[in-house]
Amino acid sequence: MTAQPLAIPSRSHYLTAQKERGRKVLGVFPAQYPREILWAHDIAPMEIWDPPLEPGSAPAHLQPYICAVVRQGLELVLRGGAARLDGLLVPHTCDSLQNLASLLNDYLELPVPVLFFYHPKEPFRDSARAYYRRQLTILDQKLAARFGPRREGALEQAVAWGQRVAELAGRTYDLRARGQLSAPALEFYRVLRAGEFLHPEDHIPLLEEFLAVHQGPAPAGPVVLLSGVLPNPKELLSLLDQQGARVGHDDFLGLSRRLLFPASQAADPFDALCEQYFALPPCSTRGSALSQRLDWLKGLAQASGARGVIFYVVKFCEPELFDVPPLMAGLKEQGLATMSLEVELNQGVSGQIATRVEAFLEMLS
Amino acid sequence: MSLAGKARFQFMKDVGAPALFALNKSAARKKRRPRPANPDFGPPLACAGRLKEIMARHYYLARFAKGARPVAWVTSGAPVELLRAFGYYTIYPENHGALCGAQKMGPELCQAAEEQGFSPDLCSYARVDLGHFFSRKTPAGRLPRPDLLFCSNNICQTVVYWYKVLAHYLKVPLVMFDTPFHFEEFTEADLDYMARQIQEMIPELERHSGRRFDEAYFRSVTQLSRDTSLLWGQCLATMKARPAPMTIFDAFVHLAPVVSLRGLPVAQEYYKILLAELEERAAKGVGALRQEKKRLMWDNIAIWYKVRDFSNLFASRGMNFVVATYTNAWAETIQYLNLDDPFKSVAQTYGLVILNNNLEHRLQLMSQMVKDYAVDGLVLHSARSCKPYSVGQYDLKRLISQRLGIPAVVIEADITDYRMFSEEQAATRLEAFFEALEAA
Repeated sequence: MTAQPLAIPSRSHYLTAQKERGRKVLGVFPAQYPREILWAHDIAPMEIWDPPLEPGSAPAHLQPYICAVVRQGLELVLRGGAARLDGLLVPHTCDSLQNLASLLNDYLELPVPVLFFYHPKEPFRDSARAYYRRQLTILDQKLAARFGPRREGALEQAVAWGQRVAELAGRTYDLRARGQLSAPALEFYRVLRAGEFLHPEDHIPLLEEFLAVHQGPAPAGPVVLLSGVLPNPKELLSLLDQQGARVGHDDFLGLSRRLLFPASQAADPFDALCEQYFALPPCSTRGSALSQRLDWLKGLAQASGARGVIFYVVKFCEPELFDVPPLMAGLKEQGLATMSLEVELNQGVSGQIATRVEAFLEMLS
Repeated sequence: MSLAGKARFQFMKDVGAPALFALNKSAARKKRRPRPANPDFGPPLACAGRLKEIMARHYYLARFAKGARPVAWVTSGAPVELLRAFGYYTIYPENHGALCGAQKMGPELCQAAEEQGFSPDLCSYARVDLGHFFSRKTPAGRLPRPDLLFCSNNICQTVVYWYKVLAHYLKVPLVMFDTPFHFEEFTEADLDYMARQIQEMIPELERHSGRRFDEAYFRSVTQLSRDTSLLWGQCLATMKARPAPMTIFDAFVHLAPVVSLRGLPVAQEYYKILLAELEERAAKGVGALRQEKKRLMWDNIAIWYKVRDFSNLFASRGMNFVVATYTNAWAETIQYLNLDDPFKSVAQTYGLVILNNNLEHRLQLMSQMVKDYAVDGLVLHSARSCKPYSVGQYDLKRLISQRLGIPAVVIEADITDYRMFSEEQAATRLEAFFEALEAA
């Protein structure tokens, strides 16, 4: 019998509830940022990846060749989304988000402050480690200046939450890779992606419940690896579920590339956050070498028994689009089947894409 | 590096190239039929021939560089002074991309990259470069395979993705200079990080080049680079004169040495010649256009395949582009370069370039340029290839128009891939712009 989907509040309701309980809420654009520092200041990050909005005001500010993550994020802000928040945070992920941060801060006269977070890019020399640590303390000071000082021990607590989330996510991924997680892909990503807005006090029990409910044999169909920015359109996940395929692992920017890291043993919370950043899986947006990403993907395929990789790329996403052709070639050399899909967010899956995916899965069977 | 390779390179440099170019010059003189002069333009710049020779020589000698000198492919915003200190022969794929664009080879080379799976939505400089890698086609004869790739993300993150792909295919090391984006404040932490990276790169470059770092030589190269950029800035400043002694379309071409040969004596010598000529023209009231009715500003990289057409089109209406954020980028931050503290000041100079700076800075800079150069109208090229230059332009147009009361237009195009350019759409927008400008 298929388990019922777990109860997860909507982002909008959750935002209201967080405000009612006195938390500040920051809208956060993708992708890498030290959310533990926000939690320590009793700020709930509400990540903005793919709000399901039709274009309205954003095209007056952004060219049509800018990716949907940026366009729809701006759309949300312009439609009054910012007014419900206490501020925005834009990490330095790509050129479009870099300029979006400046556009929001310099030209659009928003009612809330816009913060920016720069994280170093590879290669990570000694200077990068020292710089990242300083960036963490600067962000901490900026939040303190704007929202008041954090309480004693709050950062240590937040780091522990972050590590617990990573541990649970790691166990979930590990079970799935070994074929011991019965959850369909759609439910897996719904629960994991809830971490984009749930406070760890709510996300941790959700992940625990998910593990308790879904430990069990996975479908015996073909195993695939997913790579890309985020699992949207979700209809593709439904398609994989319907076809009896198992997602063995993923390399999504919004998920495993941020979630899977070994817990640092460092006593100092800033040191711990620093260590964890540099231990994250390779990522196009952090400038990782292609050989690193290729080895990482091969390792994921091997660990999960995946025989095919689907690149699930948001249209106009430069960091991913550059990496895909050499990665596909390298994976093919290893005998892995690959396919690349350029998708628009929230626009479902066309019949043509569905046919391609079905044929791909058939080939793997 | 082999002795034979070094000897061959030196011979070609001292004897072969000068002889070849002398022969070519003489043959061209005999063949040349004078092109009918466009009545809209003033006399052409006399030093244009010298520029052509310098750039042709640079690409020609590149063929012999391999084996004689370590060869690096470099991004246009990278602190090349460091490479010069190790004797690298440098090739700028962006400059090569502009050359391919101007020769209208963009689509052909882009397609060669697209056939290998690279999306047509990617930067066309990158696609041209990758297309060259796959097809070996280039208008420059032949580019030497690099021993090293040197990249800085101060102009965009795209170059990082692009150079990572090159490093993967070419199996050569990539040295990367990470420059934090200047969002609101340029912190001590940012500056220290960049300065430390430059110092950390020294042993890396020693290892890759097989040469020891000579700080005194690095300082002398840095001095040369500073002087060259200052001269370039002076050349641009002559365009404040009315009529301006050159157009920005000329400047797009005369920009090549400060981009590609910065830190070498030849670039400095060239700009001395150019400056002297521009100053003389300005003093005598010789304009690039016979009648300069309106003065314009250009924002973003050139549309390389349309430079001549646009030059003619605007000139026919007595409109001269007298300033551009793009050409100014190689002069804007040079004042930070201080030989007393070369590492920190190189970091500052390269960290604060326009594309690594916030949009408020761009607005202030452009507003100042409008005043300094007595600009009547603004043309913004929304370049599909260049997100950091293009995102924000719609609001920039609105704000400059509102605050300074000048007409402005955005043209949707691309830097080299003319498949992305709609003549009709551009013509319609420009027509409306011309009307607004002429009515002003």
